[in-house]
Amino acid sequence: MDKPLQSSTTYELQFNGSGNAFFSVIVVNWLLTIVTLGFYYPWAKARKLQFLYGETSLNGDSFSFHGTGKEMFKGFIKAIFIFVLLYALLFLFLYLKIPFIGLLLFYLGFFAILPLAIHGSYRYRMSRTSWRGIRFGYRGDRKELITNFFKWIFFTIITFGIYGSWMSINLRNYLLGNVRFGDVEFNYDGDGADYFVLNLKGYFLTVFTLGIYSFWWQKDLFEYYVDNLSLNQDGKEITLTSTVTGGGFAGLAIVNLLIIVFTLGLGYAWVVTRSMKYIFENIKLEGNIDLDSIAQTEDNFKDATGEDISDFLDLDFVI
Amino acid sequence: MKERTIGIFYDGVSSVPQEIELIFDKEKKGFAFKTANNKLHFWKLNDIVFGKKGSVLNLEHGEEILQNIKVKNIDFISSVNVFRKKNGYIDWYQRLIDLGLKSHVILAVFILIFIVLGYIFVIPWVAEKSVVLIPEDYDNKLGDTFYEQNMTFSSIDSSKTKALNLFAKELKLNNTKKLKFTVVNSSEVNAFALPDGNIVVFTGIIDSMTGYDELVGLIGHEASHVNNRHSMKMLCRNLSGYLFVSTVLGDANGVMAVLGDNVNMIQSLSFSREFERQADLDGFEIMTLNKINPEGMSTLFKRLQGEKNFSIPEFLSSHPVTTERIGYIDEMIKTKSFVFKENPRLKKLFKEIKY
Repeated sequence: MDKPLQSSTTYELQFNGSGNAFFSVIVVNWLLTIVTLGFYYPWAKARKLQFLYGETSLNGDSFSFHGTGKEMFKGFIKAIFIFVLLYALLFLFLYLKIPFIGLLLFYLGFFAILPLAIHGSYRYRMSRTSWRGIRFGYRGDRKELITNFFKWIFFTIITFGIYGSWMSINLRNYLLGNVRFGDVEFNYDGDGADYFVLNLKGYFLTVFTLGIYSFWWQKDLFEYYVDNLSLNQDGKEITLTSTVTGGGFAGLAIVNLLIIVFTLGLGYAWVVTRSMKYIFENIKLEGNIDLDSIAQTEDNFKDATGEDISDFLDLDFVI
Repeated sequence: MKERTIGIFYDGVSSVPQEIELIFDKEKKGFAFKTANNKLHFWKLNDIVFGKKGSVLNLEHGEEILQNIKVKNIDFISSVNVFRKKNGYIDWYQRLIDLGLKSHVILAVFILIFIVLGYIFVIPWVAEKSVVLIPEDYDNKLGDTFYEQNMTFSSIDSSKTKALNLFAKELKLNNTKKLKFTVVNSSEVNAFALPDGNIVVFTGIIDSMTGYDELVGLIGHEASHVNNRHSMKMLCRNLSGYLFVSTVLGDANGVMAVLGDNVNMIQSLSFSREFERQADLDGFEIMTLNKINPEGMSTLFKRLQGEKNFSIPEFLSSHPVTTERIGYIDEMIKTKSFVFKENPRLKKLFKEIKY
């Protein structure tokens, strides 16, 4: 493996979406959601994601999101069914006057759904995203994720939450480590201890500075997220480096707040686009993978149930 | 009619860009091109997803094998667009998006106004109607639960409770369900009605009263809350208001949802004011019906206005005694005709309740 690295190049990751265009997408979504009494929601979500992905480009070629409202609607129905089932179970046990067992099963079921939702959501989103026709994919194993998830939850509970840092990093390592872009593999190399220290420092300094440090904390978190991520293909590599600054985040947040306040929320579209722009401008990609040589390896996966459950539970997609 | 340009083709197998000559065939309504091994492809307009990224047109084709063509030639792109527009290839969604920023801003403002109007006029109406659909049984359960949870830790004065129930029995309260009164030992100047007909009166408020007419006023007021199912109406309004706000704005963004929540709260406060007014008017009517001097209500309210610790659980009913409320009661005393006479039985019972 001691081959000298081929001459290293930089890659251009950009967000090109304009606030005006995104505003149009949002307003039309809004209109259709109201007219259909909310039933348009899955389609609205698809439109929004299609716009946001489509406006993101790598070396001048944009990403595409192929998910459709129909897929997400089907997933939505399945997700509702699962929740109804869970609640039905709870009420059955309440009716049988054994609320304790009912609640226990309810919470167990709820926790069991979490890794399932994360798994499903990753598989769906990744397989429905492409660049130059090459699909992303998630190859994590469902059983493995569930077993690990419960193990980590257990550790987190018995350590009164301290293990939570390790849990989130383990989860991130596992999830991102199983993401692929054609035959390019993602790799995340985080460490729970580093993450714990980073958050501890961030928390106390934020308290001592009456919140001002929170932007630098945010910067550290973002940096930790980006810098530990890399892409590999046959021993070749692309590394990611964050160049965000605490001051940058602070400026972004303050202007965003002003936009929201003075437009009564209508300026949301511009808030999103300028935040995306800032973030993508500040991720540097460098390495020796030839982007013209990526091979298609991933299949389609159209079941959006996990995606919809995650949406119900407000799980952030990227963990 | 055919137009030609150079495009970049991605075959869905690898990310290698292939330069192709792309032919737009207007008669066959599609694109034709040859790939490296001289294989001829034809994509029908209907099977293509068009995407415009900056000045580049992106044609996407296929489901399992995703293929893309990138076109940069501006004349070619505009010719394709003109053709698609003319021949109805632009779907309704794209047409909505193409309306332009100005129309969208107007649309957004229009939607906002629509939401506000819907919120002020439609929601209360829907809530009022939906209360009828909820069985009274549910009111009872809700009230029971609250009563059990709250009364366990309160000290109930059983002899006063008995006297107050006898006191209420003497009155016509226009009630449809059985009212049950409870006197609780507490310095709080307070009283509240639960949806199941339980009315709780604190000794603090009784002690501040000087005559039985004031107690009748209070009972009449609380009875009206029960008779009109005010608690349930409030619940329905809050819930439907919340659902409305979250359906409409929840998707838009978090900040709007927060704004919406606050609007909802302010709105529910004004609902409660409306309910208080109705209860006051009904209470007044109950007093005249029972030949009690309605001045008692006015006297009670005037004294309560001076009290500082007059508070009530928010979701049941908030009873801030305002100058406005005293105003309209005094107005009714002046304008309405009524007769009243001393009621010795009530007077005697009132003494029992008070001391």
